[in-house]
Amino acid sequence: MKAPVDDRLDALRGSAKRLDYSARSLAALENNPRCTLRALLDASGSDKAAIAAHAGHPSPFGQSAFALARGNVFETMVKDNGCAELLRLLRETLQLTLPEVGYEDLNDIGGDGRAEVRHDRTKQVLLQAARGNGGGTLFDHPMLCLPVGGHKAFLEPDLVAFRIGGRFHVVEIKSFPIIDGQADPTQVRAATTQACAYIIALRNLLARVGIDKQAVSDTIVLVAPKDFTNRPTAAFVDARKQVAALSRQLARIERIGDLVDLLPEGLTFDLGLDKDKRARRPAEELAEALDQVPATYRPDCLNHCEMAFYCRSRARADSSLDVLGPAVREQFGGIDTTTMVLGLAQGRLTPTQDQVEMAAALRHAARLRAELNVLGGAE
Amino acid sequence: MSMLSALAHVQATESMQAVPLTAFRHRRLSSRPLVIIPLVMAGEAGAPLAAMVGSARRKGTLLVVAQPRNRDQRFAFAASLGRTVIDYIDSFRQGRRGGGGHSRYPDTPQILVPNHGGIKALADLGRMCRFRSTSGPHAVPDVVPEFGMWLTFLVDRAEQAGTSMLLPVTGILAEHWATGQSTLEDQNLASLMAWIAPPAGLSVEQAMADAENPDVCPPAGPATSPEFDNRDLAPAIKRFDTARTLGDLRALAAAESDLRELIAGQIQPTWRMTWEAIALLRSVPEAPRTIKRFERDCAAFTSYSDYRDSGGLPQRKRDTAIGAAQRLGWLERALAEFESDMAFDDPFVLADRRSAGEAFAGTVVEAEPSRTVTTASNRRVPRPRVTIRTQDPVRLAADTKLLSPSMPSGHKAVIVSVLPDGDATLVTVEVTGGMGRARVPARGSVPVPDQRIAYLPDPGWRPAPQFPGSDRTPWTHSATAGETGADPAAPEDAAAEEWGNED
Ligand code: SF4
Repeated sequence: MKAPVDDRLDALRGSAKRLDYSARSLAALENNPRCTLRALLDASGSDKAAIAAHAGHPSPFGQSAFALARGNVFETMVKDNGCAELLRLLRETLQLTLPEVGYEDLNDIGGDGRAEVRHDRTKQVLLQAARGNGGGTLFDHPMLCLPVGGHKAFLEPDLVAFRIGGRFHVVEIKSFPIIDGQADPTQVRAATTQACAYIIALRNLLARVGIDKQAVSDTIVLVAPKDFTNRPTAAFVDARKQVAALSRQLARIERIGDLVDLLPEGLTFDLGLDKDKRARRPAEELAEALDQVPATYRPDCLNHCEMAFYCRSRARADSSLDVLGPAVREQFGGIDTTTMVLGLAQGRLTPTQDQVEMAAALRHAARLRAELNVLGGAE
Repeated sequence: MSMLSALAHVQATESMQAVPLTAFRHRRLSSRPLVIIPLVMAGEAGAPLAAMVGSARRKGTLLVVAQPRNRDQRFAFAASLGRTVIDYIDSFRQGRRGGGGHSRYPDTPQILVPNHGGIKALADLGRMCRFRSTSGPHAVPDVVPEFGMWLTFLVDRAEQAGTSMLLPVTGILAEHWATGQSTLEDQNLASLMAWIAPPAGLSVEQAMADAENPDVCPPAGPATSPEFDNRDLAPAIKRFDTARTLGDLRALAAAESDLRELIAGQIQPTWRMTWEAIALLRSVPEAPRTIKRFERDCAAFTSYSDYRDSGGLPQRKRDTAIGAAQRLGWLERALAEFESDMAFDDPFVLADRRSAGEAFAGTVVEAEPSRTVTTASNRRVPRPRVTIRTQDPVRLAADTKLLSPSMPSGHKAVIVSVLPDGDATLVTVEVTGGMGRARVPARGSVPVPDQRIAYLPDPGWRPAPQFPGSDRTPWTHSATAGETGADPAAPEDAAAEEWGNED
């Protein structure tokens, strides 16, 4: 990446510390890939939650301590005694014939928990394993590294298993249940996308020494509580499609320069932090800066993006149909605002060439609704 | 969604208030519904935290699980909630009418929960309870499996369109009103109510903002807000645990009443709002055909009651392939019928279908009232034809069978042709039924020129799906013998299934 682009991204972030991509934020790329605002905030390492809060729309996400605790307890249990439970699952539930299994803890290296150190060690043992002379078969919390938009993002899968059919497999340990063989599809999808970031990072690592990407499977092993118990069960999840999708999104970040070039000179999302880390920049000024970047709000953002309340209020202020969601939106193909819909429906606006058909349908629908109101309707 | 409903949402946005989507309420509201507000613990699978339950606004009972991870406390909770629900259900098992195999209870229970998540919580609870054994080492109170089976029955039934034994209040509200927000936000009871009936003195904007502020409007569940969990609930549960470990009875009682109070603070606003929503829904007139669907609910309720009385097995964990296909068939049929019923009863819904081209209304421009044909059995029967001119974007093809809400009941017709006519459409239909038995159609049974008339497709024409009997199912689609045996009836295994911790 060209230096000037980096400089501009740094300027966008301003005085705050750079936030690196995590598997979670990479996975979130998939949810609204066309959003420029989000792409820029992420690429510049800006703190979306802090920005949204300062702009007067704090993010809707909190995490319950119960959920966190449950997640940790479950992961520990699966990994206890050199992953005894996990091995049982791989052998019994997934019916894998595993050779003699080793276990390598990469959580810290001789007491050193720094990402760089762990990454070096991870590289060493994984490459050894790939070349067929590593002892470990299960790697606990390896530290992977993926360059994203010219920056290193350190990624930490729960577990990487080697030699399931001679290939590396990413193992995701999640605490949502698989009940009677079925799990919540949204949660499975989120877990899978996250695992895709690991797959890509792992392939990247091996590619640097010329090992083919086939060495890393694009099927993940999902480990989750069985039914309502605390005992785990496992399932294979095919992640091929999502690996491809995420790779595309990553390639897009590499082209972030194209987006940056379109920004007005001097634009920044700087919060103007003082030495006590308090944001000093006037909130309206920040909002003005944000408003200069196109965002593609949709209600689903409320589930994924820290900026959602901010973007929703902006979409509301613009009378954007996006506020009402895709089901409503798709009825009015080619029209963007509620004002335009009503203008065409009531015949106050003259349709453009491509709107003629839509306008006729709208006037018909408006006539129908008007007849109903004459009827008295419900109120 | 049709363009007309989409337009209603746009109108709601512009006028900043909810607008009606229907003229009627298409769901029956019992005069004595049982409201349940279930709360579950975040992160845990199917871990009940509390429930408020009762059949009148002033008669809510709060049930709390002080340590939701504890197995015994969960079952104690399931038993008390179960007793309330089973008593309620039993109160409808009386006054059976009709004779022989066709006798039925005249009314059914109706459980209302705030949102879809509430149904999911009850489904989980049902799944956890229905296989339990009431004897042996893991014995639970008798009511637990009974409760589980009834919950499962109600949840299964709720998937069928048009039924009303278990309903989410947000669902009924959103069926009747369009708001200026998305489906996602409409699932939040407080946000939905903000548009329909904001609290006195508040604008819709203010009420919407409050609805998303967990300190003003605690979430309607089933999960509590993370802020509440971290700030209040986690420390309170910890105090309870500590007191229990120390065996300090006074501290235990104090911790328990603290917890109740905290949870009451979270659940009561939703309780009140649910009853407000119910009152609001009562003010909407009930659609005429609701009664027909209610009668089916009565039949289903009666037959499941009888099945329970005969000691029937709990519902299996997963359907067999045939069972699943059959069920899908029923669900589709029920949906088609429900949609047609609504359009038949309700000019709003009819208009909706018209805007999508799935129904049409217009003026009769031509009629051949005395047209007859000779049937295969050599009988002459009246088959009048009429042509209707409509502005609607008709998307129905020739041979579609039709019903008409503007004609006497029993009227049936079939489309002969659909032809464009300037900016309008001419639809010619042949009347095939509802004309009486005589050679000449009964008076008023055939549309006449200049009459306004509406038609919509008859969902009844769809043939019921045929499935091979279970002995003729290819082996690839049947559950293996082992599975069939183990599935619904594996009490040893299922009764011992963990649910929470045994501490
Ligand atoms: S909330 Fe805003 S910034 Fe985030 S993805 Fe949606 S539109 Fe983009």
